[in-house]
Order: sequence, then structure tokens, then C-alpha cells
Amino acid sequence: MRDLIKMVVVLTAICGTSGLVLSYVNEATKAPREYQLLKFVKGPSLKVVLPEGYDNDPITDKIQVKLGTDEKGQPILKDVFPAKKDGKIVAFAYDATASGYHGPVSLMIGFAPDGTLTGVSVMTHSETPGLGARITEPAFTRQFAKLKGLDQVKLSTQGGRIDAVSGATISSTAAVTAVQEAIKLFPKIKEEVL
Amino acid sequence: MSVLSEFTKGLWKEVPPFRLVLGLCPTLAVTTAAKNGLGMGLATTFVLVCSNILVSLLRNVIPSKVRIAGFIVIIASFVVIVELVMQAYFYPLFKVLGIFIPLIVVNCIILGRAEAFASKNGLILSAADGLGMGIGFTMSLTFLGAVREWMGSGSVFGVPLAGPHFQPFAIMLKPPGAFLCLAVILAIMNLISAKRA
Repeated sequence: MRDLIKMVVVLTAICGTSGLVLSYVNEATKAPREYQLLKFVKGPSLKVVLPEGYDNDPITDKIQVKLGTDEKGQPILKDVFPAKKDGKIVAFAYDATASGYHGPVSLMIGFAPDGTLTGVSVMTHSETPGLGARITEPAFTRQFAKLKGLDQVKLSTQGGRIDAVSGATISSTAAVTAVQEAIKLFPKIKEEVL
Repeated sequence: MSVLSEFTKGLWKEVPPFRLVLGLCPTLAVTTAAKNGLGMGLATTFVLVCSNILVSLLRNVIPSKVRIAGFIVIIASFVVIVELVMQAYFYPLFKVLGIFIPLIVVNCIILGRAEAFASKNGLILSAADGLGMGIGFTMSLTFLGAVREWMGSGSVFGVPLAGPHFQPFAIMLKPPGAFLCLAVILAIMNLISAKRA
């Protein structure tokens, strides 16, 4: 009986201490971990979509914009990454997602303060290699630069200025839809950021 | 049983992957480049030293019937610490090593040293044993990684070492390359030991 109690007590003590230490380490490393995740997942895309010549770190300076509340009353927050020059915002970028052929396609979209697109980059997707996956290529994404408004950002078959990747209409549509979503959010986000 | 001999045995006589042939899963899987081998080795060394120290301190407290469960909790805790810290400060390495970091928990070197050595010996000896084994493991992985990177991508630690006309042996970066490399190194080590004896 004494053995049994000792076993229980010792194991409980070890597990409890371990849990305490781990929760402390978890808290301590939380901020740098989030920063690293943003830097390596969104960083490369941000470099592409923001116009050159900014002198800040858009990830450190990220602004959280409240877009409303969900049904539980929790605020819906969106991370907006501003590019600043001499302390003034010259462009900003945020992400948008639409569903593609095999799952969500997530893009980073850069805007100049007047609403002109500065660039678009696909961050994550699971489209078919060689077909849908070609939406990540510059040949497709650079078509978005300098466009403005929902009328221009449409596939050319629908009267817009974007040529779909051949054989990948669904993936191309997903990318365009995501950019359109971002454009719809633009007035609200601009108000908050600038 | 001096501290020094406990430390040095891990460097040659009982060097884990080549002599004890323990911990082969990370040894074979992550050594596609010298840097990955070094990172994995250092992570393992940290866990090995810490768990050896703690197991040695608690060896009279933990009842023998539940000792393995206790050891595993201790080891797993240190592994999670390594994982979190690596994710926070060495993200690219964390991405490369991926699933093999949590798998340090079940690396048989660590439980092996805790069970076979630290649970029977004092603090200083256990720390020396863990450090020696860890450094031996790190050296082995770095060496294996360097050889495979040199033959497979023509560089070591990312520094190009082969000439411009070098055609990389792609197989060295694939699993068969790991086995080939390991076998050759084992053979050479056996040869040297046989000559010495």
C-alpha cells in the first residue's frame, strides 16, 4: 500500500512540475514563435507584393484591424502589414482566401493607398502541380499589378483584365475571387490603417 | 570509473550511432546536410544531458516499478522545450527537422542512457556520460551529413567545395545514400579498431 501511494505521489509530482515548466516556456516563447511563423510564411510573399523602397519591417509593424464581430461576439481581426517610408505608409498588404480545385488558395495582396494593386502572391495552395499550381508563377500573378477596382480584376472571359492559366480555370478563378474579396475589404481597412 | 573516461567513451568506444548502432532513425533521416546533422545532434545533446542530470538526481525518489514512465515524462518535457525554443529562434532548422524533433522522445539513446547509466550513477558521472554521448552523436551526425552533402550537393555547410564540373550524386541525399554512407563509416571504424587491437 505504501509503495502504491509513493508511486502515485511521485508520478503526479513529476507530471505536475513538467506541466508547470512547459506552460511557462510556452508563454515565454509565444511572441517570437508567432513572429517567426509570420516571417517565414508571409514574409516572402510580402516582399513580392509590397513596392520596393520601404524602410520598415512590415511584420513587426503589423496592424490588427477589427472587421466586425462573429456570432459569438468575438472580434474578427485581420493582420495588415504596412510598408512605410520615412514613417509614412506607402502601401499595405493583407491576405485573402478562396476555395480552389483542391482546397483553399490563400494569397497576399498589396495595395497602394489609392486602392491600386501593387502586387499579388500566392502563399499556400494545394492545386494540381503543373496545372492549377501554375497560378503561383509570376506570369499569372504579375497581371494583377497596377489594376484597380472590381471591374478590372476579373477573368478576361468575363470582361476583366486577367488571363486565366490555361487548363486551370477553377484555380485561376479562386485567385481572382480572393483578390476581389480583398478589394471589397479595402475601403474599411484603409479607413482604419491610414 | 573516472569522470573523464565516462565522457570520452561516448566519443569513440561507444559512439552512439556507429558503435552502439542506436538512434538510427534520426541518423539516417536528417543527415542530408551537415547543418541539419549538427542541429539534430545539438538538440539531442541538450535533451540527453538534461534528462541524465534529472534522472540521476531523482533516481532514489522514483519507485523502480514506474521508473520508465517517470523517465519518459522527464525526457518528453525537455524535448518540448527544445521544440518550442527552436521554433521561436531557429525556424528554418525547425522546418527541416520537422517531425524528428518530437521523435527525440523515443530516441533509444536517451532512454537507454537514463535507464542504463543515469539511474545507477551520481550526478557528475551522469552529466559526463550524457555530454560525451551527446557530443559523440552530434559529431557522428555532422560527419555523416557533411559526407552526404559533399557527395550529394557538392558543398559542406552550404560552402561549395566541388568544382564547377561536379555532377552531384543525387542518391547520396536519398535514403539509400544514408545506408551506404553509414555502412562505409561502420566498416572503416571496425577496421581501425581491429588494427589497434
